[in-house]
Amino acid sequence: MTMHRILQSDFWRFAHLRPAMMFGLVVIIVDLFLAVLGPAIAPFPVEAPAGASLRPPSALHWFGTDVSGLDIFSRVLAAPRIDLTIALVSTIIAFIAGVALGVVSGFFAEGDRTGRLASGLIMRTADVVQAFPMFVFALALVGLSGPSIKNVIIALAFLNIPFFLRLTRASVLQVRSRTFVEAALCAGNSPIRTAFVHVMPNSLAPALVHFSTTIGFSILLTAGLSFVGAGVPPPTPELGLMIRSGAQNMMTGQWWTALFPGLSLALTVLAFSLFGDNLRVFLDPTNRR
Amino acid sequence: MRRFVLFFCKRLLFIVPQLFAVSVIVFFLIRLLPGDPSYMLAGPYASPDRIAEVRKSLGLDEPILVQYIHYLERIAVGDFGTSWRTSQPVLTDIEQRLPATLELVVGAVVLSVVIGIPVGVAVAAKRGGALERGVFFYGMLAGSLPDFWVGLLLILIFFFFLGWAPAPVGQLGFAVFAPDRITGAYVVDSFLTGDWPAFASALGHLVLPLATLVIVYMPLVLKTARSAMEEMLDSGFVLQARANGLSRRMQLRYALRNALPPVVTVIGIEFWFLLGGAVLVETIFAWGGLGQYAVESVVNSDYAPLQAIVLITAIFTSLVFLAVDILYYLIDPRIGV
Repeated sequence: MTMHRILQSDFWRFAHLRPAMMFGLVVIIVDLFLAVLGPAIAPFPVEAPAGASLRPPSALHWFGTDVSGLDIFSRVLAAPRIDLTIALVSTIIAFIAGVALGVVSGFFAEGDRTGRLASGLIMRTADVVQAFPMFVFALALVGLSGPSIKNVIIALAFLNIPFFLRLTRASVLQVRSRTFVEAALCAGNSPIRTAFVHVMPNSLAPALVHFSTTIGFSILLTAGLSFVGAGVPPPTPELGLMIRSGAQNMMTGQWWTALFPGLSLALTVLAFSLFGDNLRVFLDPTNRR
Repeated sequence: MRRFVLFFCKRLLFIVPQLFAVSVIVFFLIRLLPGDPSYMLAGPYASPDRIAEVRKSLGLDEPILVQYIHYLERIAVGDFGTSWRTSQPVLTDIEQRLPATLELVVGAVVLSVVIGIPVGVAVAAKRGGALERGVFFYGMLAGSLPDFWVGLLLILIFFFFLGWAPAPVGQLGFAVFAPDRITGAYVVDSFLTGDWPAFASALGHLVLPLATLVIVYMPLVLKTARSAMEEMLDSGFVLQARANGLSRRMQLRYALRNALPPVVTVIGIEFWFLLGGAVLVETIFAWGGLGQYAVESVVNSDYAPLQAIVLITAIFTSLVFLAVDILYYLIDPRIGV
């Protein structure tokens, strides 16, 4: 019954004709599945040696073993739990903070003096935060506060706020000039209430669409930070760390050490960005071609 | 001309508060450190005297505003403190390393423009066909590729399997002497001094890191050039040009002229991305530039250089965006501040 309803929905009819979106959807579902069950279904322990060092892929070790004898296949299965959690949590925080600030700065952009001041202040702060090259700033934030999962999440959330802020603000600026907003104010709603109860739900679409893309991008940044040694501490099964430990071996020909984690990383990021791009088209029918 | 000067001055005024705000953030960044920053800045092997000295130079007993003003005074004269790891003034370290990074970043931007714009225009001009499909798939893929992984694959293929590229350690071969220093970028210096062995070696070492950055970040320019060009070719004035019997060449020229502003903007964004990408790519190729310095500083808890690098890259980005805005104005004078 539920299956039937999914298959009849607009979303499904839109998605199943688009191979790129289906690909994204499937990879994301597999990733979520692995984030929950990955460590449990991994054939070998993920943080302890499972065989000899630097074995090429075989029937026993599908993706080979790395320099400390860890089974790479098991670690690739377990990695989404770390990478996806970091990306998901940091994106949710950035989304909530960015949307809230965006609503305030958009709604009060042409209000009284205090409103304009707050709005301007928020935007100028976003300008300054975005003056820093993102990866360098992330590196400094995590480097100074100490490499740990928590600090990576905080740094990524902070750096992603301006993107959600700008998208929401632009959308609020359009929505707030519509008549229903005037009606809500006339009916006695306070400006704050109008902004968050009436305007916000109608201005969420751009930020929601950006959500998927940001998750992919955050996974990439997390892996990058771990790759240079300023992210998650080893021997956590994390894709960037695995590529880091395989980097030396790539130069001497043990190609499997970094190839498979990198492939998994690229597929995941690609899936989220393809899904996000297609979602944008789905939600904006004027754009459908 | 007067309008341009006015625009220029206004835009310059804009950047002053921005740079101040950047310095405030960098100043407070160091306070993320747990405990007393003077212990951290002086390094793990510092003597009590040295810690007292750092403490005094930071003025940690003074009000925060006074501390900030002192910080501004110090960076105004280029005093970014001392790296405990290299035991050199941070400014000296940065002067040695910045040209190598700029060589990489500027090279990647130039190549992206030289490749991205013509290919983007070609795809927009002749829709359908293999080129369009190829560009579409590549553009989709490239944004998702981890740059550090692409670099490693290139090393595996071109160094290990094919043996075409030199070993990915630094900017020159082991037996090659560095050229006389003029700009600090080896390829440029060896070319200017006519030091051909060094030039060949430097160029050879530059190929893979540069290729990595171009493969991953070029599509940004390509995609923008393509979509801007498609929009222009579909617009009324090109239709009019065609109706008037102008050649296809002239139509493309008119369209390109008007498609340039968004492309210029994206070139600025490309710089912003590349400064981050350079950090990762430099690490793989042991490039010895600013990016690798940043990573080494983080890993070794060497905080004075880190603070300086964050500040310098942010100033650099602000200046690039300034240049972009000015260029934008020159291309499209309808824009105001």
